[in-house]
Amino acid sequence: MATAEGHRSSVGKYVIVYVILLVIAALQFVIAYSNISGGQMFTRMLCLAIVEGVLALLFFMHLADNRGLLWFFAIFTVFVLLTLQYGWTDSFRLLDGVQWAK
Amino acid sequence: MHDMSGHAAVHHGEPTSFIHKHVFSLDHKVIGKQYYGLALVAVLIGMVLSWLMRIHLGWTNYAIPGLHLLSANGAPGNVMTPEYYLQLMTMHATIMVFFVLTTAPFAAFGNYFLPIQAGAEDMPFPHFNMMSFWVTFTGFLVLVASFFVSDGPTLGGWTQYAPLSALGPVGGPGEGWGVVLWATSIAIFCVGQLLGSLNFITTTLDMRCKGMSLWRLPLSAWGWFITSCMGLTAFAVLMPGCILLILDHVAGTSFFVPSNLVLNDQLQPHSGGSTLLWQHLFWFFGHPEVYIAIVPGMGIVSHVLITNLRRPMLSHRVLVYSMGALGVLSYMVYGHHMFVSGMNPVSSLAFSFPTLVITIPSTIVVLIWLGSLYGAKIRINAASLFALGFISMFISGGVSGFFLAQPSTDIMLHATYFVVGHFHLVMGVAAMFGIFAGTYFWFPKMYGRMMNETLGKIHFWCTFVGAYAIFMPFHYLGLAGNVRRYQAFVADYMQPLIPLHQFITVAALFTGAVQVIFLYNLIHSRFAGQQATDNPWQATSLEWSTPTTPPPHNNFGDTLPEVFHDPYQYGVQGSAGDYVMQTSPEQVNSPHDEA
Amino acid sequence: MSQAEITMAGHSAAMERPAFSVPAKKMAMWLFIIADTATFAGCLVAYGFLRNATPNWPRPFHSITNVALMTFILLTSSLTMLFGIDGAKAGDKAKALRWTMITAALGAVFALLHIREWLALIDEGMTLFKNPWGTGLFGSAFFSITGLHLLHVTGGVIALIAVGIRYNGGRYNADDLEITGLYWHFVDLVWMFVVPLVYLLNLSH
Repeated sequence: MATAEGHRSSVGKYVIVYVILLVIAALQFVIAYSNISGGQMFTRMLCLAIVEGVLALLFFMHLADNRGLLWFFAIFTVFVLLTLQYGWTDSFRLLDGVQWAK
Repeated sequence: MHDMSGHAAVHHGEPTSFIHKHVFSLDHKVIGKQYYGLALVAVLIGMVLSWLMRIHLGWTNYAIPGLHLLSANGAPGNVMTPEYYLQLMTMHATIMVFFVLTTAPFAAFGNYFLPIQAGAEDMPFPHFNMMSFWVTFTGFLVLVASFFVSDGPTLGGWTQYAPLSALGPVGGPGEGWGVVLWATSIAIFCVGQLLGSLNFITTTLDMRCKGMSLWRLPLSAWGWFITSCMGLTAFAVLMPGCILLILDHVAGTSFFVPSNLVLNDQLQPHSGGSTLLWQHLFWFFGHPEVYIAIVPGMGIVSHVLITNLRRPMLSHRVLVYSMGALGVLSYMVYGHHMFVSGMNPVSSLAFSFPTLVITIPSTIVVLIWLGSLYGAKIRINAASLFALGFISMFISGGVSGFFLAQPSTDIMLHATYFVVGHFHLVMGVAAMFGIFAGTYFWFPKMYGRMMNETLGKIHFWCTFVGAYAIFMPFHYLGLAGNVRRYQAFVADYMQPLIPLHQFITVAALFTGAVQVIFLYNLIHSRFAGQQATDNPWQATSLEWSTPTTPPPHNNFGDTLPEVFHDPYQYGVQGSAGDYVMQTSPEQVNSPHDEA
Repeated sequence: MSQAEITMAGHSAAMERPAFSVPAKKMAMWLFIIADTATFAGCLVAYGFLRNATPNWPRPFHSITNVALMTFILLTSSLTMLFGIDGAKAGDKAKALRWTMITAALGAVFALLHIREWLALIDEGMTLFKNPWGTGLFGSAFFSITGLHLLHVTGGVIALIAVGIRYNGGRYNADDLEITGLYWHFVDLVWMFVVPLVYLLNLSH
């Protein structure tokens, strides 16, 4: 409801989250130039991206304020995202062949 | 719109013009009927296609009069070519799965009855709802249009396996424009289902009338709700898959075509893609789709059965939990369609286990039905007969699922008619029986007239016997080694099976023909059926407490109903008889009031 | 009182409370976000799958300046969106409109930078099916994923302007603005995954 009554500005919180997001994004760029294997790079970047995503969901999209919606969204989305991951073994096999068949 | 803090506005007055009343209608009831009409047209086309295929399977060189009009190349001298057989098979499957089994039990009945059963005036987004139908309709037109492009519709099967589906015309007749139209149609269909799912879920979560807690929703409403949750994400993954497939055709990409592929002695210009990627994307949608087809049927059948059993199911909640478990598990098992695809054997194991687990909720559902039937004095009418038929088909088709869930046996059976028999019984015929049960049950509410019971019973027995006569022998054919998709195989190598094929063809022609009884019953009852009362089945849920029959534009007139009970208060002492309606404020001393 | 009127008047005694106390419009946006997450995830998984399966995957990007700038702009636009919603909730219409339009402008700048980057890549000989550096799949994946995202940004800019104007005209309220904001944050969120996976992992060393 669009009333000024009882409205507490959260601008301060937003700016803090924004700065944290910028720092994490910068960290990803640093990782991109570090001298590590592709797999390690992927893992680190993905982890950071997940942290970013969770922060944005919780504070920018206000899931932190609604426990019920948070669980609904989290369970639904995480489940679907996890079930999408079944196929990976096939992608490696196309490159390396079947290890146990060699 | 000024204040949206509580609910979205359902804001449309009763339309007056013909166009707004019957064509571009915002009324969920009209949209539901439109979906039903679309499904009816689609199922007739799909059925005729299956006849053509069956005739070809029984009598390979039989000239079907007029077939060359459909395709001069596909049926020279009215005799079907093997390629054209595959093209018709693909269209039969696509039309049936998408435009019949998804639209009729889910979109048609769900649209009409979900808001009424929840006690809402309409769905929260009537414009989305209208778009959802017309988008789906456009998808249907695009699909049917592929009959009329130069070399006909695609022959790739409803699964459109790459690389053949992604190569263009070199892949065979219909693999050019046919595939592009197919993929476009399905991508459009996905958009329609997204819009529909948004409406279904928000209706269930946000539009319930006072007293209608989630547990007080009837089982049919639960079926639609669970289905829409599946549809929300399954179609969302199929859509990019279809778009990538289209790009492979029109933009020269190679998402699904591997390097160095030689076809017809030609090195294909594509390079680098993966054929298995398509299968992963497709079946991620494809398996939930199976449950999108069957779960609404489970809900409808439970709803119909309870009304005719005159007592609630053994457990309302366990039934809901089981349907929910089916929805969840359906995402985890898709790889059992890929046991023979060259998928990693470790994945086969990972898919086989949840596939065997998914039989548990299915079995629980069946046991609840059977246990509820035990010792009950069921009212026999066309609706309850079809509900019983659904259970029968679901069990018969489901049992063969145990064999297919295990890679070791599936590898032998997968490419045979055994699988065809399995899925036709368990999701095809069973879902059709659910549609029939729903039609006989709800027709009085939708049109204010009763359907003819005698014709309905004749229709049931003919269809029931016919369906078993068609699909039971499929299992035998499969065990005997009859491969599917490749018609000439029988004539070349398995001649002793030809008489059985001919028997099945006759059964299919018969079973299809008796559907005329249903069509006649539908049309005749619509105009000249016996007048229906507001609550002809003495049922309890909200759709039977509307002020008029059919319900008025805003479903409940000036005031929304208030709900006081669980959906199924049967076998109790009520002022109206052996039941108490959800809207009735009278006290019930019943062990069944769980909520 | 009809349900239409009831729903106009906010939550009513004639209906059950919405699940999670989320009204239908906002719920629909969250559901759309769930579906769209699946769509983007499907695309990203397809990209990863093909990348794993391809030996000569190119790593052609030399500079991070442009993508860093784009990331900064999109992240900032999320913040300005929040300022706008904050203004709307406090009843400060002018502030809400101003920040919403700034958000839309930042989105438009992002889209322009993105298109400029595309044109530069096309200039270097990269298309949907071939590029000078390695497998043609790189262009296929890059253009489809960033194209899908660009489509979302473009749609978002149009939606922000349309909703902003209607909000100013009194047809939409703070909640509508917040719902549009949800979409905008989601577009931003997707970009947080696209940047490392599609850009940074393909940086040449």
